[in-house]
Amino acid sequence: MSARAYVVAEFAAEAPLLAAARALRGRGLADLDLHSPVPLHGADEALGLKRSVVPRIALVLGLAGVATGYVMQWWMVGVDFPINVGGRPPQSAPAFIPITFELGILFAALGIFLGLFGLWGLPRLHHPVFEVEAFRSASVDGLWLSAAVEAAGVAAVAAELRALGARQVEIVEDGP
Amino acid sequence: MTDPAAALADPLEPVPVLVGRPGDQALTASLTAPVLGPTRKGWLLLISVLMLGVGFWTLSLVTTLVVGIGAWGNNIPVAWAFDITTFVWWIGIGHAGTLISAILLLFQQKWRTSINRFSEAMTLFAVAMAGVYPIIHLGRPWFFWWLMPYPSTNQIWPNFKSALPWDVFAISTYATVSFLFWFMGLIPDLATLRDTAPTRAKRIVYGIFAFGWRGSARHWQHYRIGYLLMAGLGTPLVVSVHTIVSFDFAISQLPGWHTTIFPPYFVAGAIFSGFAMVLTLLIPARRLLGLEQVVTMKHLDNMAKVVLATGLMVTYGYAMEHFMAWYGGNRYEAFAFLNRWTGPYAPIWYVQLFCNVLVPQIFWFPAMRRNLVVLFVASVLVNVGMWAERFVIIAVSLSRDFIPSSWAMYTPTWVDWGLLFGSMCTFGVLFLLFLRFLPVIPIAEVKELRRELDHHDAGAAGHGAAAEVGP
Repeated sequence: MSARAYVVAEFAAEAPLLAAARALRGRGLADLDLHSPVPLHGADEALGLKRSVVPRIALVLGLAGVATGYVMQWWMVGVDFPINVGGRPPQSAPAFIPITFELGILFAALGIFLGLFGLWGLPRLHHPVFEVEAFRSASVDGLWLSAAVEAAGVAAVAAELRALGARQVEIVEDGP
Repeated sequence: MTDPAAALADPLEPVPVLVGRPGDQALTASLTAPVLGPTRKGWLLLISVLMLGVGFWTLSLVTTLVVGIGAWGNNIPVAWAFDITTFVWWIGIGHAGTLISAILLLFQQKWRTSINRFSEAMTLFAVAMAGVYPIIHLGRPWFFWWLMPYPSTNQIWPNFKSALPWDVFAISTYATVSFLFWFMGLIPDLATLRDTAPTRAKRIVYGIFAFGWRGSARHWQHYRIGYLLMAGLGTPLVVSVHTIVSFDFAISQLPGWHTTIFPPYFVAGAIFSGFAMVLTLLIPARRLLGLEQVVTMKHLDNMAKVVLATGLMVTYGYAMEHFMAWYGGNRYEAFAFLNRWTGPYAPIWYVQLFCNVLVPQIFWFPAMRRNLVVLFVASVLVNVGMWAERFVIIAVSLSRDFIPSSWAMYTPTWVDWGLLFGSMCTFGVLFLLFLRFLPVIPIAEVKELRRELDHHDAGAAGHGAAAEVGP
């Protein structure tokens, strides 16, 4: 595996940050990311991100929860061990609705939550960008760009980021 | 009494949802100060006093476990009394958190931003308190997992045609989803705390719980849609939970319980009591933590309006119950309502009417909605009234059912009182811990709100003013 490094640059405002992301992406750098304390308008377009798959995860798991809830009740009290309580029929669809609904919500919510962590690649307590001490500001007020580049191209990318108006540029060698 | 910022403002201008336009650094500093600053003496004093109540609660719980349900005043016919009353009361209080965080998010109400974390935490602790009661009421609570459908050696499944297993699923789903939603909102702020904490220990602890969040645009993209979807799921969930709780009663045959208006009326009552509890907690907390800048009179004013609106819905529920008792022509049902006005528990019914019907009417007056003392006292009274309402529905209806020979009065024992007041103190302790160790106001969301307001200001000032940015 060839050596890679992270070029981490801070920008003073959103417009030059997004312009820099577009410029680097135009040069064929794909492994780019922006870091900010709040979601930035236009970041998805600047990075060329595809639509999030989270809604599809939620839909599939929600339907799975509904199916699980209904089939569970249908089988347990209707097929496996029918009990006559109060003369209700063994298969009583209206009575099965509340749990079916709740399990649909529960599965969808768990799917969103766990799906997000899967998509994020978190928990990951260590990341090369954290090596930059000033990067702490990314969760306060700082606007940062990070680019993973081949070791050979580091100097060129750093120079370009300075030219694009970065306030500071740091280089982090990715560990062996 | 009134907020100085509100008093100085032009009366024709609406009260702002954010006083001034503080920059990101200023917001971070002021909103993390209660967490990162030194422990205050008042906090220590308050939590110490409340710990006495936790002790009383523990004693009552242990007595219940050792002696059994006989330690309570419950009897037959009053098999449900303080326990289920307090359970429904706490669950209802919990509803405001999800309403504020989910429904108001979908309606794009900007004023929800500053108070959503606070009310979601209230929801979590209220649901935790509520969950204790049905479990200890089982009689043998150490077998509580028998409620769950699992292939046990008993070779029998829960009866899904009863409302009580529905409750198990509704409450556990509600607790889980509320926690996930709350925690999701916390992640960016935990990263902020990790990056601003002064000591290494705090950095490590907050860092672990931030799971390595680095504010990545790739993460924010999924985060935003996931948060919105969670809100979308929370909205029907919150309505379903109290609906299912009301089924515990409405599905039965008992006069005073057997009525179709219960689901909407319980949901309205839940929001009513929940907003009142948010006010009760928020009014002192915003003062003590210096949050007047982000929790303005606008928030309190709006919450008072919600209390008024839901109070009217609850009043409609009372009126309609009485109408149906008369119009339905069932003599037992009619007697149940006559019993409320003239029976042995009538004083509690009058407390309910005073607190839930009369007290909220004060919020028709804008000056009352902006008077902190009035707001605080009214919010406490509403919760007293809502507890009384559940007691009247549950215990009073049970105490006089069909045949006079089976009637019995219910008198609470010290264990009942211990469980009630002890749960309030435990809730208070959990809430104080939350105020001390986690950011009460969602920092990232307030920063986003400020950007939106900046954008709005710039739009209002004309096209050329877009260059205006925060300090």
